[in-house]
Amino acid sequence: MATLLKNHRRYDIFNDLEKALNRVDFFRIFHTMALRFGFDHFGILQLGNENDACMLSNRLTLHDLPSGLAEEYDKRHRFGDSVVYKSLHASTIPSVWKADDPHLGNGSNLLAQLGFDLLLCVPVNGINGARYAILFLGDSEDIERREHFELCYDAIAAFDYFYRLVLSNKAGMGLTPRETEILRWISHGKTASEIALIVSVSEHTVNSHTATILKKLDVVNRTQMVAKAIREQIIQ
Amino acid sequence: MTQIIHILLVDDDPAENVILRALMKKVTSASIELHYCETIDGALDFIRAGNPVNMVLMDNRLQPQADFRETVPAMRQQGFIGPIGVISSSLADPYFQKFEEYGADFRIDKSELDPTAIEFILREYVSKN
Repeated sequence: MATLLKNHRRYDIFNDLEKALNRVDFFRIFHTMALRFGFDHFGILQLGNENDACMLSNRLTLHDLPSGLAEEYDKRHRFGDSVVYKSLHASTIPSVWKADDPHLGNGSNLLAQLGFDLLLCVPVNGINGARYAILFLGDSEDIERREHFELCYDAIAAFDYFYRLVLSNKAGMGLTPRETEILRWISHGKTASEIALIVSVSEHTVNSHTATILKKLDVVNRTQMVAKAIREQIIQ
Repeated sequence: MTQIIHILLVDDDPAENVILRALMKKVTSASIELHYCETIDGALDFIRAGNPVNMVLMDNRLQPQADFRETVPAMRQQGFIGPIGVISSSLADPYFQKFEEYGADFRIDKSELDPTAIEFILREYVSKN
Protein backbone atom coordinates (compact mmCIF):
# COMPACT_ATOMS: atom_id res chain seq x y z
CA MET A 1 0.00 0.00 0.00
CA ALA A 2 1.67 3.17 -1.13
CA THR A 3 -0.94 5.60 0.20
CA LEU A 4 0.99 6.69 3.27
CA LEU A 5 3.82 9.18 3.51
CA LYS A 6 7.07 8.86 5.42
CA ASN A 7 5.53 11.30 7.87
CA HIS A 8 3.45 8.37 9.08
CA ARG A 9 6.35 6.84 10.95
CA ARG A 10 6.07 3.12 11.25
CA TYR A 11 9.53 2.35 12.65
CA ASP A 12 10.40 -1.34 12.97
CA ILE A 13 7.16 -2.73 11.59
CA PHE A 14 7.23 -0.73 8.35
CA ASN A 15 8.27 -3.69 6.17
CA ASP A 16 5.83 -6.16 7.69
CA LEU A 17 2.94 -3.73 7.29
CA GLU A 18 3.79 -2.80 3.72
CA LYS A 19 3.86 -6.49 2.74
CA ALA A 20 0.68 -7.51 4.55
CA LEU A 21 -2.11 -8.71 2.25
CA ASN A 22 -4.61 -10.86 4.10
CA ARG A 23 -5.90 -11.87 7.53
CA VAL A 24 -3.16 -14.44 8.06
CA ASP A 25 -0.55 -11.70 7.55
CA PHE A 26 -2.25 -9.51 10.17
CA PHE A 27 -2.56 -12.49 12.48
CA ARG A 28 1.21 -12.95 12.12
CA ILE A 29 1.90 -9.28 12.78
CA PHE A 30 -0.30 -8.96 15.88
CA HIS A 31 0.67 -12.38 17.25
CA THR A 32 4.38 -11.56 16.95
CA MET A 33 3.74 -8.13 18.46
CA ALA A 34 2.07 -9.70 21.50
CA LEU A 35 4.92 -12.15 22.04
CA ARG A 36 7.57 -9.44 21.57
CA PHE A 37 6.15 -7.44 24.46
CA GLY A 38 5.74 -10.39 26.81
CA PHE A 39 2.05 -11.12 26.17
CA ASP A 40 0.63 -14.46 25.06
CA HIS A 41 -2.40 -13.41 23.03
CA PHE A 42 -4.05 -10.55 21.21
CA GLY A 43 -7.62 -9.75 20.19
CA ILE A 44 -9.12 -7.02 18.03
CA LEU A 45 -12.42 -5.99 19.49
CA GLN A 46 -15.12 -4.12 17.64
CA LEU A 47 -16.75 -1.49 19.83
CA GLY A 48 -20.30 -0.36 19.28
CA ASN A 49 -22.96 1.34 21.28
CA GLU A 50 -22.21 0.65 24.94
CA ASN A 51 -25.79 -0.36 25.66
CA ASP A 52 -26.10 -2.88 22.83
CA ALA A 53 -26.13 -6.49 23.97
CA CYS A 54 -22.74 -7.86 23.16
CA MET A 55 -20.80 -11.10 23.32
CA LEU A 56 -17.04 -11.29 23.39
CA SER A 57 -16.91 -13.94 20.66
CA ASN A 58 -18.99 -11.82 18.25
CA ARG A 59 -16.96 -8.70 18.83
CA LEU A 60 -13.55 -10.25 18.19
CA THR A 61 -12.74 -9.63 14.53
CA LEU A 62 -9.28 -11.18 14.70
CA HIS A 63 -7.62 -12.95 17.62
CA ASP A 64 -5.26 -15.71 18.61
CA LEU A 65 -7.03 -16.83 21.77
CA PRO A 66 -7.27 -20.60 22.31
CA SER A 67 -10.17 -22.02 20.28
CA GLY A 68 -13.43 -21.88 22.16
CA LEU A 69 -12.20 -19.63 24.99
CA ALA A 70 -14.32 -16.62 24.01
CA GLU A 71 -17.36 -18.85 23.41
CA GLU A 72 -16.93 -20.50 26.83
CA TYR A 73 -16.63 -17.07 28.42
CA ASP A 74 -19.87 -15.97 26.73
CA LYS A 75 -21.72 -18.98 28.10
CA ARG A 76 -20.88 -17.99 31.68
CA HIS A 77 -20.51 -14.24 31.70
CA ARG A 78 -21.86 -11.09 30.19
CA PHE A 79 -19.09 -9.21 28.42
CA GLY A 80 -21.18 -6.03 28.45
CA ASP A 81 -21.13 -6.07 32.27
CA SER A 82 -17.34 -6.18 32.57
CA VAL A 83 -15.53 -3.14 33.91
CA VAL A 84 -13.08 -3.37 31.00
CA TYR A 85 -15.84 -3.18 28.39
CA LYS A 86 -17.49 -0.25 30.14
CA SER A 87 -14.16 1.57 30.48
CA LEU A 88 -13.55 1.29 26.72
CA HIS A 89 -16.66 3.43 26.29
CA ALA A 90 -15.68 5.86 29.01
CA SER A 91 -12.26 6.88 27.68
CA THR A 92 -9.89 6.42 24.75
CA ILE A 93 -6.78 6.39 26.95
CA PRO A 94 -4.98 3.03 26.72
CA SER A 95 -5.51 1.00 29.89
CA VAL A 96 -3.65 -1.71 31.80
CA TRP A 97 -5.52 -4.22 33.92
CA LYS A 98 -4.40 -6.84 36.42
CA ALA A 99 -6.47 -9.78 37.59
CA ASP A 100 -6.00 -8.74 41.20
CA ASP A 101 -7.09 -5.12 40.71
CA PRO A 102 -9.30 -4.61 43.76
CA HIS A 103 -11.91 -2.46 42.00
CA LEU A 104 -12.71 -5.04 39.33
CA GLY A 105 -15.09 -6.90 41.61
CA ASN A 106 -16.13 -10.53 41.34
CA GLY A 107 -18.84 -10.56 38.74
CA SER A 108 -17.16 -8.28 36.23
CA ASN A 109 -13.50 -9.23 36.32
CA LEU A 110 -12.85 -10.06 32.68
CA LEU A 111 -9.22 -11.00 33.30
CA ALA A 112 -9.87 -13.50 36.04
CA GLN A 113 -12.78 -14.93 34.06
CA LEU A 114 -10.55 -15.47 31.02
CA GLY A 115 -7.71 -16.81 33.16
CA PHE A 116 -4.99 -14.22 32.54
CA ASP A 117 -3.02 -11.93 34.85
CA LEU A 118 -2.42 -8.87 32.69
CA LEU A 119 -4.45 -7.10 30.01
CA LEU A 120 -3.49 -4.09 27.94
CA CYS A 121 -6.21 -2.29 25.97
CA VAL A 122 -5.33 0.06 23.14
CA PRO A 123 -8.37 1.92 21.79
CA VAL A 124 -8.05 2.59 18.04
CA ASN A 125 -10.11 4.03 15.18
CA GLY A 126 -10.62 3.16 11.54
CA ILE A 127 -10.12 6.07 9.15
CA ASN A 128 -13.89 6.59 9.11
CA GLY A 129 -14.00 6.79 12.90
CA ALA A 130 -15.21 3.22 13.56
CA ARG A 131 -14.08 2.28 17.05
CA TYR A 132 -12.09 -0.81 17.94
CA ALA A 133 -9.72 -1.83 20.71
CA ILE A 134 -6.64 -4.02 20.54
CA LEU A 135 -6.33 -6.29 23.57
CA PHE A 136 -3.10 -7.94 24.66
CA LEU A 137 -3.41 -10.72 27.25
CA GLY A 138 -0.74 -12.52 29.22
CA ASP A 139 0.59 -13.55 32.58
CA SER A 140 3.31 -10.93 33.11
CA GLU A 141 3.18 -8.87 36.28
CA ASP A 142 3.20 -5.50 34.58
CA ILE A 143 4.48 -3.60 31.55
CA GLU A 144 7.12 -0.86 31.72
CA ARG A 145 6.32 2.64 30.53
CA ARG A 146 8.62 2.50 27.48
CA GLU A 147 7.31 -0.87 26.28
CA HIS A 148 3.80 0.31 26.94
CA PHE A 149 4.26 3.34 24.69
CA GLU A 150 5.94 1.31 21.95
CA LEU A 151 3.27 -1.37 21.96
CA CYS A 152 0.48 1.23 21.79
CA TYR A 153 2.17 2.92 18.84
CA ASP A 154 2.79 -0.33 16.95
CA ALA A 155 -0.79 -1.48 17.63
CA ILE A 156 -2.23 1.77 16.26
CA ALA A 157 -0.08 1.54 13.11
CA ALA A 158 -0.87 -2.14 12.50
CA PHE A 159 -4.58 -1.60 13.06
CA ASP A 160 -4.60 1.24 10.52
CA TYR A 161 -3.35 -1.17 7.85
CA PHE A 162 -5.66 -3.95 9.01
CA TYR A 163 -8.65 -1.65 8.84
CA ARG A 164 -7.86 -0.26 5.40
CA LEU A 165 -6.95 -3.61 3.86
CA VAL A 166 -9.41 -5.97 5.52
CA LEU A 167 -12.17 -4.31 7.54
CA SER A 168 -13.15 -1.18 5.66
CA ASN A 169 -16.26 -1.06 3.55
CA LYS A 170 -14.85 -0.81 0.07
CA ALA A 171 -18.09 0.37 -1.54
CA GLY A 172 -17.47 2.26 -4.76
CA MET A 173 -13.92 1.01 -5.18
CA GLY A 174 -12.97 -0.53 -8.52
CA LEU A 175 -12.69 -4.28 -8.98
CA THR A 176 -9.32 -5.92 -9.51
CA PRO A 177 -8.80 -8.00 -12.68
CA ARG A 178 -9.13 -11.20 -10.62
CA GLU A 179 -12.38 -10.00 -9.04
CA THR A 180 -13.77 -9.07 -12.46
CA GLU A 181 -12.83 -12.52 -13.75
CA ILE A 182 -14.64 -14.21 -10.86
CA LEU A 183 -17.64 -11.95 -11.32
CA ARG A 184 -17.80 -12.97 -14.97
CA TRP A 185 -17.81 -16.69 -14.07
CA ILE A 186 -20.52 -16.07 -11.46
CA SER A 187 -22.59 -14.41 -14.18
CA HIS A 188 -22.17 -17.61 -16.20
CA GLY A 189 -23.79 -19.54 -13.38
CA LYS A 190 -20.67 -21.27 -12.06
CA THR A 191 -20.42 -22.31 -8.40
CA ALA A 192 -17.53 -21.35 -6.13
CA SER A 193 -15.90 -24.76 -6.41
CA GLU A 194 -16.24 -24.74 -10.22
CA ILE A 195 -14.69 -21.27 -10.39
CA ALA A 196 -11.85 -22.42 -8.10
CA LEU A 197 -11.05 -25.20 -10.58
CA ILE A 198 -11.28 -22.89 -13.60
CA VAL A 199 -9.19 -20.08 -12.12
CA SER A 200 -6.71 -22.38 -10.29
CA VAL A 201 -7.20 -21.00 -6.80
CA SER A 202 -8.81 -22.41 -3.66
CA GLU A 203 -12.53 -22.32 -3.04
CA HIS A 204 -11.73 -20.19 0.01
CA THR A 205 -10.09 -17.57 -2.23
CA VAL A 206 -13.10 -17.52 -4.56
CA ASN A 207 -15.44 -16.98 -1.59
CA SER A 208 -13.21 -14.28 -0.21
CA HIS A 209 -13.12 -12.46 -3.59
CA THR A 210 -16.90 -12.83 -3.84
CA ALA A 211 -17.33 -11.23 -0.41
CA THR A 212 -15.12 -8.33 -1.49
CA ILE A 213 -17.11 -7.86 -4.72
CA LEU A 214 -20.33 -7.75 -2.67
CA LYS A 215 -18.82 -5.00 -0.52
CA LYS A 216 -17.38 -3.04 -3.40
CA LEU A 217 -20.61 -3.09 -5.41
CA ASP A 218 -22.63 -2.49 -2.25
CA VAL A 219 -25.00 -5.39 -2.92
CA VAL A 220 -26.38 -8.17 -0.74
CA ASN A 221 -26.25 -11.33 -2.85
CA ARG A 222 -24.88 -12.85 -6.04
CA THR A 223 -28.04 -12.13 -8.05
CA GLN A 224 -28.00 -8.44 -7.22
CA MET A 225 -24.24 -8.48 -7.82
CA VAL A 226 -24.57 -9.70 -11.40
CA ALA A 227 -27.54 -7.39 -12.11
CA LYS A 228 -25.64 -4.36 -10.89
CA ALA A 229 -22.45 -5.36 -12.69
CA ILE A 230 -24.36 -5.58 -16.00
CA ARG A 231 -26.19 -2.32 -15.32
CA GLU A 232 -22.92 -0.57 -14.64
CA GLN A 233 -21.26 -2.29 -17.61
CA ILE A 234 -18.53 -3.93 -15.53
CA ILE A 235 -19.43 -7.09 -17.46
CA GLN A 236 -21.38 -7.44 -20.71
CA MET B 1 -14.52 -30.61 16.89
CA THR B 2 -14.53 -34.37 16.42
CA GLN B 3 -13.89 -34.48 12.69
CA ILE B 4 -10.35 -35.41 11.67
CA ILE B 5 -8.54 -32.74 9.69
CA HIS B 6 -6.14 -34.08 7.10
CA ILE B 7 -3.15 -31.86 6.45
CA LEU B 8 -0.62 -32.71 3.76
CA LEU B 9 2.90 -31.44 4.36
CA VAL B 10 5.15 -31.21 1.31
CA ASP B 11 8.75 -30.60 2.34
CA ASP B 12 12.01 -32.08 1.09
CA ASP B 13 13.46 -32.02 4.59
CA PRO B 14 12.10 -35.01 6.57
CA ALA B 15 13.12 -33.23 9.80
CA GLU B 16 10.36 -30.71 9.15
CA ASN B 17 7.87 -33.57 9.13
CA VAL B 18 9.04 -34.61 12.61
CA ILE B 19 8.89 -31.02 13.88
CA LEU B 20 5.47 -30.30 12.43
CA ARG B 21 4.11 -33.62 13.66
CA ALA B 22 5.13 -32.67 17.20
CA LEU B 23 3.59 -29.24 16.71
CA MET B 24 0.28 -30.68 15.53
CA LYS B 25 0.06 -32.84 18.68
CA LYS B 26 0.00 -29.64 20.72
CA VAL B 27 -3.10 -28.42 18.90
CA THR B 28 -5.87 -29.38 21.29
CA SER B 29 -8.88 -27.94 19.48
CA ALA B 30 -8.78 -30.36 16.55
CA SER B 31 -7.82 -33.91 15.65
CA ILE B 32 -5.20 -33.55 12.97
CA GLU B 33 -3.78 -36.26 10.80
CA LEU B 34 -0.59 -35.12 9.17
CA HIS B 35 0.37 -36.74 5.88
CA TYR B 36 3.80 -36.18 4.45
CA CYS B 37 5.30 -36.10 0.95
CA GLU B 38 8.90 -35.27 0.21
CA THR B 39 8.40 -34.17 -3.39
CA ILE B 40 5.83 -32.32 -5.44
CA ASP B 41 5.36 -35.45 -7.57
CA GLY B 42 4.60 -37.41 -4.42
CA ALA B 43 2.05 -34.77 -3.41
CA LEU B 44 0.40 -34.82 -6.82
CA ASP B 45 0.16 -38.63 -6.64
CA PHE B 46 -1.29 -38.36 -3.14
CA ILE B 47 -4.03 -36.01 -4.37
CA ARG B 48 -4.61 -38.05 -7.52
CA ALA B 49 -5.13 -41.17 -5.42
CA GLY B 50 -8.17 -39.51 -3.89
CA ASN B 51 -6.81 -39.27 -0.34
CA PRO B 52 -8.74 -36.81 1.83
CA VAL B 53 -6.82 -33.55 2.22
CA ASN B 54 -8.34 -30.52 3.97
CA MET B 55 -5.26 -28.33 3.65
CA VAL B 56 -1.80 -28.40 2.13
CA LEU B 57 1.27 -26.88 3.75
CA MET B 58 3.97 -26.52 1.16
CA ASP B 59 7.61 -25.67 1.73
CA ASN B 60 8.47 -22.82 -0.60
CA ARG B 61 11.57 -24.40 -2.08
CA LEU B 62 11.52 -28.03 -3.09
CA GLN B 63 14.35 -29.98 -4.70
CA PRO B 64 15.68 -29.68 -7.28
CA GLN B 65 14.74 -26.09 -8.03
CA ALA B 66 11.03 -25.54 -7.77
CA ASP B 67 9.43 -22.85 -5.63
CA PHE B 68 5.78 -22.20 -4.91
CA ARG B 69 5.30 -20.37 -8.20
CA GLU B 70 5.56 -23.77 -9.90
CA THR B 71 4.42 -26.19 -7.21
CA VAL B 72 1.15 -24.48 -6.19
CA PRO B 73 -0.16 -24.15 -9.79
CA ALA B 74 0.74 -27.83 -10.30
CA MET B 75 -1.46 -28.75 -7.31
CA ARG B 76 -4.27 -26.60 -8.67
CA GLN B 77 -4.01 -28.20 -12.11
CA GLN B 78 -4.47 -31.52 -10.35
CA GLY B 79 -7.87 -30.20 -9.24
CA PHE B 80 -7.08 -29.47 -5.59
CA ILE B 81 -9.28 -26.55 -4.49
CA GLY B 82 -8.60 -26.68 -0.75
CA PRO B 83 -6.38 -24.13 0.97
CA ILE B 84 -2.64 -24.15 0.31
CA GLY B 85 -0.25 -22.40 2.68
CA VAL B 86 3.32 -21.68 1.68
CA ILE B 87 5.94 -22.10 4.40
CA SER B 88 9.22 -20.28 4.11
CA SER B 89 12.05 -19.34 6.41
CA SER B 90 11.89 -15.85 4.96
CA LEU B 91 9.01 -14.00 3.35
CA ALA B 92 11.29 -11.24 2.12
CA ASP B 93 11.36 -12.18 -1.57
CA PRO B 94 9.16 -9.77 -3.52
CA TYR B 95 7.34 -12.57 -5.33
CA PHE B 96 5.64 -13.48 -2.07
CA GLN B 97 3.54 -10.36 -2.60
CA LYS B 98 1.90 -12.13 -5.52
CA PHE B 99 1.22 -15.46 -3.84
CA GLU B 100 -2.53 -15.26 -4.54
CA GLU B 101 -1.90 -15.07 -8.27
CA TYR B 102 -0.21 -18.45 -8.07
CA GLY B 103 -3.17 -20.01 -6.28
CA ALA B 104 -1.75 -19.96 -2.74
CA ASP B 105 -3.96 -18.90 0.16
CA PHE B 106 -1.49 -17.69 2.75
CA ARG B 107 2.19 -17.56 3.56
CA ILE B 108 3.80 -18.14 6.91
CA ASP B 109 7.35 -17.99 8.16
CA LYS B 110 8.71 -21.25 9.62
CA SER B 111 9.55 -19.47 12.85
CA GLU B 112 5.96 -18.24 13.20
CA LEU B 113 4.40 -21.67 12.89
CA ASP B 114 3.32 -22.52 16.44
CA PRO B 115 0.19 -24.26 17.81
CA THR B 116 -1.60 -20.90 18.10
CA ALA B 117 -0.91 -20.13 14.45
CA ILE B 118 -2.09 -23.61 13.39
CA GLU B 119 -5.34 -23.16 15.35
CA PHE B 120 -5.91 -19.78 13.75
CA ILE B 121 -5.29 -21.12 10.25
CA LEU B 122 -7.67 -24.04 10.84
CA ARG B 123 -10.35 -21.63 12.05
CA GLU B 124 -9.89 -19.42 9.02
CA TYR B 125 -9.56 -22.01 6.28
CA VAL B 126 -10.87 -25.38 7.42
CA SER B 127 -13.59 -25.03 10.06
CA LYS B 128 -15.75 -22.81 7.88
CA ASN B 129 -15.74 -25.20 4.94
